[in-house]
Amino acid sequence: MIALIVVVAVIVAAAGGSIIVGVRRRHTVNQRLDRLANRVSGVVAPASRSPVAAVERLEEVMEAREAEQRLRGVERRYEAALEAVDWGVVVVDESEEVVFCNLSASWYLEGRHGEAVVGQKIDDLIHAAAHGERVSETVTLFGPPRRVLFVSALPIVDSEELSGAIALIHDVTAMEHSNAIRRDFVSNISHELRTPIGAVSLLAETLVGEHDPEVIDSLAERLRVEAERLAGTVQDLLELSQIEHGGNTEFARVVVQGVVSGAHDRVRAAAAHSEVSIEVEMPQQDLEVRGDRRQLTSAVFNLLDNAIKFSNPGGGTVGVTVRQAQASVEVEVVDDGIGIPRQDLDRVFERFYRVDRGRSRTSGGTGLGLSMVHHIVANHGGRVLVTSTEGEGATFTVDLPVAPTDISTAVPAATGDDAAAVAAPAAPGDSTVPGEGNP
Amino acid sequence: MTEELRKTYHEQLEAVREAIIRMSGLVGETIPRGTDALLAGDLAEAQRIIEDDDVIDAMSVDLEESCYQLLALQQPMASDLRAITTALWMNAEIERSGDLMANICQATRRVYGSSFGPRIRGLIAQMSEEAARLFRLAIDSYAEANSGLAVALDDIDDRLDELHLDAIAAIFEGSREQTIDMQVAVQLALVCRFYERIGDHAVIMGERVRYMVDGWLPEHSGALRAKARETQIGGVKPGAR
Repeated sequence: MIALIVVVAVIVAAAGGSIIVGVRRRHTVNQRLDRLANRVSGVVAPASRSPVAAVERLEEVMEAREAEQRLRGVERRYEAALEAVDWGVVVVDESEEVVFCNLSASWYLEGRHGEAVVGQKIDDLIHAAAHGERVSETVTLFGPPRRVLFVSALPIVDSEELSGAIALIHDVTAMEHSNAIRRDFVSNISHELRTPIGAVSLLAETLVGEHDPEVIDSLAERLRVEAERLAGTVQDLLELSQIEHGGNTEFARVVVQGVVSGAHDRVRAAAAHSEVSIEVEMPQQDLEVRGDRRQLTSAVFNLLDNAIKFSNPGGGTVGVTVRQAQASVEVEVVDDGIGIPRQDLDRVFERFYRVDRGRSRTSGGTGLGLSMVHHIVANHGGRVLVTSTEGEGATFTVDLPVAPTDISTAVPAATGDDAAAVAAPAAPGDSTVPGEGNP
Repeated sequence: MTEELRKTYHEQLEAVREAIIRMSGLVGETIPRGTDALLAGDLAEAQRIIEDDDVIDAMSVDLEESCYQLLALQQPMASDLRAITTALWMNAEIERSGDLMANICQATRRVYGSSFGPRIRGLIAQMSEEAARLFRLAIDSYAEANSGLAVALDDIDDRLDELHLDAIAAIFEGSREQTIDMQVAVQLALVCRFYERIGDHAVIMGERVRYMVDGWLPEHSGALRAKARETQIGGVKPGAR
């Protein structure tokens, strides 16, 4: 066996290179170049007639290939850019097949529940756009959470021919929310200011030409009440604006128990008047936060005042609990009153927002209390949350970061600056969702 | 039709599944939307929801049609057959849930102008949230073919049943204390019943999903019991178990 192989090897060697050359000769240079071009391009082309033509073809193929790679690179970069935007982007070809869809759009296209509704809307609009229409629609998802999405679609026209369509999905929830706040603020503030002004001018008109001293006295008294009410609203507005800008605050170590007791003292009379009992639960050990004592007391006072107002008169209970959380002190105010409807929950911290306008005059108050609470707490780097079931009461929880044990690590001014930075974004559009924008 | 035929069989099966999910999205959204309309006394929105229910009905008819086509033309077997029959069931349950929300919107008109107290409002809001949650979970169990979740739906429904009892009690109380009108009380009791029914439909969807995944049907245990009774009457003394 071995001998046979050796013999064959010797014969091959003796024949010299002629055999090998003979094999190679069957493929000419242009044939080999053609083969190479076919392999590179993946397309079998007719045979070239000369080596020069074959080389030219190979060069063409390589150039085309390089161009394709460059194009793919460009495509990848565009895709990366479209992935980075927070809009949903869907691109379809002329047969309405999806050729590109970024991550945020795929949530809708492949989603369930509310997302599936948006997915259907995208499909519908893309269908219209693929037939040359520019279309858009606003979709409201009721969630919860409630969301508003703006979906638009436009045709892609390539040298006057329809070659597909693009759909864009934009979450406009925050925009709609701040628009609603702005719109309602103007109507609410005019309502709050116009009512006492109307009363004052009416009372003044009646006073003119009145001679009965008793009537004059009673009218003057009512004038005074209305003027006071007006002054109260303006005073609160000014105070709120000051708090919003983080000005006029004196940060020091404050014992939370002291703050709660102070606020409790201020509402004792009102609670007794509406026969609401207040149950305070506080730990023995002092819990300290860094803050402005006067402002914090005002915040807790407003929460208590609110809880008493919306308690069931004669038999309601308001519970106040102070407790140590992980890196914060929690003050929880719970009432068992009428509660807050779900759709109003994320709006109660807005200036002048009233769940029930009809009650506003009977319950008193300026409609700014909770807004003040929100801004004060934000100034202190904390947050306030609300939960409620209508008819079962509401729970407000204020979360304040604990005072650092080592004063040297936290320069007072730094805390003040931080607080201002936290409060600043809330200032222009007024308070938004409870606790939003806080660390 | 011709377009449908061009699609492959599995694409058609997938299209049925997707249509169920899309339709359920619309119905699922109607639950909080309808409740908001009811609690806000928003008649215009209630009317829009009633009209939008026609869209859901049309989707349901199309879906049923494509299921029948698949059954007739492809003669599916085993799990594919179960998937299609389940889709037919789901379709009916989802469509019915949508109808119940349309009924609530009709009740919105009938209770318009009357206030019914924070306690009842709170209970209605809670029932709505619970019904919406059950409905979503039922759809999730279908989309994920998750029989474990499907089985759990029955237990999760207990919370909604409790809320239903509380709400009926609160309505009776309101009616007795004459804080709500008799007519309004009847409408509200119906509304609560509609939410409770949505929960029941979710439980039935869960049972159907379980059938799709492992071929089990609740009627099977009933059938087994019937069979057992039969053998007892035939051979064993009645009452000797």
